[in-house]
Amino acid sequence: MSEQPLKIMVIDDENIVGKRLKPALEKTGNIVETFEDGETALARFAQQPFDIVVTDIRMEKIDGIEILERILDQSQRTKVIIITGYATVEIARDALSKGAFEFIAKPFKPSDLREIIERAAGELRN
Amino acid sequence: MGILEKLKRRSATESGIRDFCIQTIRFKKFLENARSLLDCFEDGREKFFGEYIFDRHYVVSVIDRVVEQLGMMVYDASVLAPESGEALFAAYDKHKLAAENLIASNGLDMNNRHSNSAAAISDRDDPEYRLLSDALRWFNGKGASDAPADQPTVMDFMKQVFFAVMAALDGPDNAAKQAVIENRGTFAAGKDLYVIDLWKDAHALPKTNRAVSDVRSVPFRHLLMDTGGEKGDAGQHSLKACAWVAAISDDQLSLSTLNPASRFRLETLASGYESSDFIFVFADRSVNLDVLLPEGFHVENSESGRFAWNLDVSAKIIGDSLMVIGRNLFG
Repeated sequence: MSEQPLKIMVIDDENIVGKRLKPALEKTGNIVETFEDGETALARFAQQPFDIVVTDIRMEKIDGIEILERILDQSQRTKVIIITGYATVEIARDALSKGAFEFIAKPFKPSDLREIIERAAGELRN
Repeated sequence: MGILEKLKRRSATESGIRDFCIQTIRFKKFLENARSLLDCFEDGREKFFGEYIFDRHYVVSVIDRVVEQLGMMVYDASVLAPESGEALFAAYDKHKLAAENLIASNGLDMNNRHSNSAAAISDRDDPEYRLLSDALRWFNGKGASDAPADQPTVMDFMKQVFFAVMAALDGPDNAAKQAVIENRGTFAAGKDLYVIDLWKDAHALPKTNRAVSDVRSVPFRHLLMDTGGEKGDAGQHSLKACAWVAAISDDQLSLSTLNPASRFRLETLASGYESSDFIFVFADRSVNLDVLLPEGFHVENSESGRFAWNLDVSAKIIGDSLMVIGRNLFG
């Protein structure tokens, strides 16, 4: 029996990140939705939970840490992966202590993120 | 000569040697900043051509790093070549302005597009990718397109800065270098070579001539390791007639000619840490680097001479390269 496709949410206020990640993650059969702000993303998550949320950490209004906390409040099983820039690695480590599954620093290759998603998927299956 | 005159002369030589040591250490810093600039170019290039996900923040940070490192290089150059300082800072200000304009354009200046094909445009049509492509063209003329850059590149300016520094360091007016010749204590027995210990001679000059075998510098030993046998095949007659000065520490060697008519300079760090070790060579047009250097060097040509470097190299490669160069220069 084939595995269910993963539902993945990508949140980044830089349009290019979602635009580039969507086709790269859909290649492996996942269902991907992209958002450029936290509010819309959280509203969508309230309608329908996702298996994996990939979110930038530094965004206006709602930042990645708040998204992490609010997602985990709603769904403990969801794996949240944090995207970070150069200067925010410390904050990303803080995110790990708050329950993030992993973090990845920009710039990165889609294949690097796919590896993390595979690990997250393995934990979801178990 | 009276005792007072002798003391005065000794004191002038000592301060000249000290200046020479400071110049050499500053030049190494200058090269480190140049190397950081090249790393920025390479990082941007790798991200552009390597299918990376990046955002505008990344591109702006690379441009900012280039401006910052370039400023540090120009500062070092103004210390090493004070007479060129004003002109270099003026040119640097233009590059700072070019960087600001680049960032402000946000990759949207379609007049500045020089793409080879429609495919290249459509594949990298996002403003962030266009901005990085424009930045790469500003760095060294190598963006998505191979069309010539329409303004002086950072690499062009780096060469200009290098020449200003080389002219000051290896020109006939460098008093610090003249002081080396006047101090016979630094002369290395058996070779037409003056050896300056960067960390000792600045404080107290040796009283007798040095023996090459007493010099403990690792790169210096490699350079002369294979020079006793057959003559090298470089045919560098102009260099073979030269006197040389080698400024050394345990892991550093700065070798240059004392003859302004044949300019050659080799700088190397052989600390055992690959990520910081390097060999850098500059030679004027009278020197044929093709036969002097072993394979593996990146070479940049210019009207006044050639630069060659090998970065991130293992201790073995540095040792082997120095043996080949030493054989060709001194064999």
